[in-house]
Amino acid sequence: MPINYVLLVSRQGKTRLAKWFTTLSPKEKSKIVKDVTQLVLARRTKMCNFLEYKDTKVIYRRYASLYFIAGVGPQDNELITLEIIHRYVEVLDRYFGNVSELDLIFNFERAYYMLDELLIAGEMQESSKIAVLKAINDHDAVEMEEANEEKNK
Amino acid sequence: MAMRGLTVFIADIRNCRVRELEEKRINKEMANIRTKFKDGSLSGYDKKKYVCKLLYMYILGWDIDFGHMEAVNLISSPKYSEKQIGYLGITLLMHENSDLVRLVVNSIRKDLDDNNEIHNCLALHAIANIGGREMAESLASDVHRLLVSPNSKSFVKKKAALTMLRLFRKHPDVIPAPDWAERITNIIDDYDLGVCLSVTSLVTALAQQYPEAFMLAIPKAIMRLHKVIVERDFSADYVYYKIPIPWLQVKLLRLLQYFPPTEDPNMSEMLHNVLQTIINNSQETPRNVQHNNAQNAILFEAINLAIHLDCESDIVRQATNILARFILSKETNVRYLGLETMAHLAAVTDELDEIKKHEETIILSLRDKDISVRRRGLDLLYSMCDVSNAKTIVSELIRYLHIADYALREEMVLKIAIMTEKYATEHSWYVDVILQLISSAGDHVGEEVWYRVVQIVTNHENLQEYSAKMVLHYMRSPHCHENMLKVGGYILGEYGHLIANLPGASPIEQFNTLHARFGLCSLATRALLLSTYIKFINLFPEIKGAILAVFNQYRHVLDAELQQRACEYMAIATMPTDDLLQTVCEEMPQFPERESALLSRLNEKTGQTEDKRTWNIGGKDSNEKTPANLLAAKERNENGSVDDLANSVSNTSISAAGGENGAAAPANGSPAPPTPAAPTAKTGLTWKDQLAPGYENWYNRLRDGADGILYEDSILQIGIKSEYHGHLGRLAIYFGNKTHTQLNSFAVSVESPEGLVVANSHTLATSIGPSTQIQQLYSLECQQIVTEVPLIRISYQAGSTQSIYLKLPVLMSRFIEPIQLSSADFFARWKQIGGAPREVQEIIKVPGRIELERARTILVNHRLGICENVDPKPGNFVATGVFNTSLSGKVGCLLRLEPNHESNMYRLTVRTTSDVVSKHLKEILHTALLSKPAPSTR
Repeated sequence: MPINYVLLVSRQGKTRLAKWFTTLSPKEKSKIVKDVTQLVLARRTKMCNFLEYKDTKVIYRRYASLYFIAGVGPQDNELITLEIIHRYVEVLDRYFGNVSELDLIFNFERAYYMLDELLIAGEMQESSKIAVLKAINDHDAVEMEEANEEKNK
Repeated sequence: MAMRGLTVFIADIRNCRVRELEEKRINKEMANIRTKFKDGSLSGYDKKKYVCKLLYMYILGWDIDFGHMEAVNLISSPKYSEKQIGYLGITLLMHENSDLVRLVVNSIRKDLDDNNEIHNCLALHAIANIGGREMAESLASDVHRLLVSPNSKSFVKKKAALTMLRLFRKHPDVIPAPDWAERITNIIDDYDLGVCLSVTSLVTALAQQYPEAFMLAIPKAIMRLHKVIVERDFSADYVYYKIPIPWLQVKLLRLLQYFPPTEDPNMSEMLHNVLQTIINNSQETPRNVQHNNAQNAILFEAINLAIHLDCESDIVRQATNILARFILSKETNVRYLGLETMAHLAAVTDELDEIKKHEETIILSLRDKDISVRRRGLDLLYSMCDVSNAKTIVSELIRYLHIADYALREEMVLKIAIMTEKYATEHSWYVDVILQLISSAGDHVGEEVWYRVVQIVTNHENLQEYSAKMVLHYMRSPHCHENMLKVGGYILGEYGHLIANLPGASPIEQFNTLHARFGLCSLATRALLLSTYIKFINLFPEIKGAILAVFNQYRHVLDAELQQRACEYMAIATMPTDDLLQTVCEEMPQFPERESALLSRLNEKTGQTEDKRTWNIGGKDSNEKTPANLLAAKERNENGSVDDLANSVSNTSISAAGGENGAAAPANGSPAPPTPAAPTAKTGLTWKDQLAPGYENWYNRLRDGADGILYEDSILQIGIKSEYHGHLGRLAIYFGNKTHTQLNSFAVSVESPEGLVVANSHTLATSIGPSTQIQQLYSLECQQIVTEVPLIRISYQAGSTQSIYLKLPVLMSRFIEPIQLSSADFFARWKQIGGAPREVQEIIKVPGRIELERARTILVNHRLGICENVDPKPGNFVATGVFNTSLSGKVGCLLRLEPNHESNMYRLTVRTTSDVVSKHLKEILHTALLSKPAPSTR
């Protein structure tokens, strides 16, 4: 049940993050981003969180001003994908403390690291929030140490 | 840690109110970074900062074509923060086939071997994100080591498992999965649920490919499910809104769907317990959205597994009741999934009664306000359709068709047509529905639909009279769609005489009905109607006069196809005897039974993706052909040819084309619309590198425009016939099977150079019977100046898949039309063109003696007109022609060929109005003059 891509798109249609788990040419990627963004932005509230795009399914959910979008295969489990998105949002939220779109813009590399801790090859690698946050905090600690060493020199 | 320069830059960009300002700021920054990078003496921190800026620009959608090397350098930095940015850089900027992959493989291997696990993780992420063949080949065993080693920490194992999954998906041949099966499967028992989750994903993918080797996964999965769901043994970290690790539950339930039901009674019992517990847990609807979603995600997967195990079990009956509740739910997601899962059940079970109880609700779902739900409703109706409810469902769908979304209509039309054909008990119903469909859905009716109607009417005698009557009726309605006219034209042409005695259907009335719309329809349809008219002359000699008037008028139209038909039909109709007319217009024979083109069209729409499908939309019979049963389906394909109606229609036109200079024989319908040659798969090797050994022998003989053999080995003989006219050409390729067995999976594709369009007229049969020959007709259109020739790939199954790559002798000179010029005209133009670069000259020393006759033949074969008495020196050749293209206009070609008998040399001077053409034409003639005199190939 691989996820093919994860997109974070603002309500104005700006891409805030794009992660691809399949190999596609830049042209194909931008076509998908454009089409899917358009489809998702046109959906009204109360509609379901799933839609079809070509031979794939698109699972999305809106959080404040951002749409979190995942593209999956036609027979993948929709709800469980939806909850992967939610878990990602929860991790971001915990890390940044009430995450906002701005956090993701200025710390885009962190957003990618966290997604990497959650998903590899489009599959969930770790569902425990504690485990994901611990991994990220460990990285931060190493960086902090390096920065301190730098200062003390 | 925070980089001030980066933050400032991002803030700057955000302050750019318009795109022009943003572009300006980006360009400034790019220029700045470029100079910094050129400088070369950057600190690690600065390098990191600039790579980050580039990445930010990349995310905003700007093209980043430098900085890759700096990212690669950062990878080998001893500092974690720099290394990390380096890895992020290469995963975002690099793709698997990049040349730079080679450079990073060694750094990655070093990090994989590192004692620091954090470095291992970065390396694994990089492999999983890029995953090229080179990485797979050199690093797969390192990844495997990290996965199975007892010393690996859990968080490394998880990543290793999924990294291997990515490599396997991309390059399955690199992973010796069966050898590793046991050790990998055992990890499902790992106490760490995160590891178990990752490994289950890996096993799911491997087991689809090697089910035998991974049988061990069945008991492991069942026991793990039992432990989590029934024994409730799990660590608290992994509870997600009161549900223990829903992702793992879903994965394991899905994994079991790729295996046949277990035969071990203990395991069976355990699994039953698991499923029953899940069903019981779902009796209540939790308030919390996440809790509810997770619970339902598991429930739906459990139902899918239960259906897979035994679609008549008690569990499935309980599930059906839950689904019935779900499709009425207020929550859109639940309705959607309820319909989807019910469609799965309907697709595999014999027992449709439970589902049919909800027919009304399901039909109502077609009016849901969410298109996603409407789609699922349509799928379910299609799956649950059988003889008993076909009439209701079809009539509901037709009613709904008028208001359906445009995006849905074509699929609906296809499905209605299939259901009608499959479940029709009365012929008249079939005809009524299909004609109603064609008349009301108009543009959404694909060509396949009306081809199929013609096919069925032709094969069922008792349908013919009724359909002729109905089609005439529909064509008289004020809004008659062109597709109706096509069906009408064909059916009346064949069976119009059956209704000629009815009031309002006399021959002239039939003719007038058709002809009233003649002027309004497309050229293809008009061509079809002309064929109908010649058939009318045969059926109803009394209206010959009226029809001849039409032919006469159309003998002068601009369109070549119509003109030719009109001329030839006129000639046939005005012959002294009717013998030829009668032979040509004999009733069409029955079509051979074949798989409906509609079904293949529909199946084409639901393509395969990475994970195999566990079921297909459609009734039970469409699921007997699911991957597990592909063999049976394949056998069926081999016995009856799967080519569609269009194929058989245009097959006849090829045989006629050879003899009759491209005219379509009157007996067939409209020529099938040419479909562009199948796009070629982009493989690592280009076709050119794989040309069949020795292909030149045949190819060179055909360079001069002859027809003959293009290739021959012990199995296959390939021949071509061609004709050219201006910028257009036709190429018939014959494939002969020389063996005494059938050649299967036969496929042909053409890669044409830019500027040359090569289109095949129909889908080729996928097999060639023993000692038989099939043919494919290509139409060629030279749009621009082309200097390359098209390549063709022929593949078939003989033990293993054999592929033959060949060049097609469609040289540029084929699109030249010879012309004759007088001496004055020639020299005026010769001077006008002038010298280089539009003049190209070459001295050619030929092997052996100069033969003037041969030189003349070569020029003529390359379609140049030889102008006599132009050159003051007799013995010199002067030749002229016009090279035609449809988009880039015409190019005049002039040349002189001066033989020197003493030294056996020619001097060739080519002047054309395009330097590219001059150069290429010179090369073509050069090669031709150097080649050995070919033995006659005709």
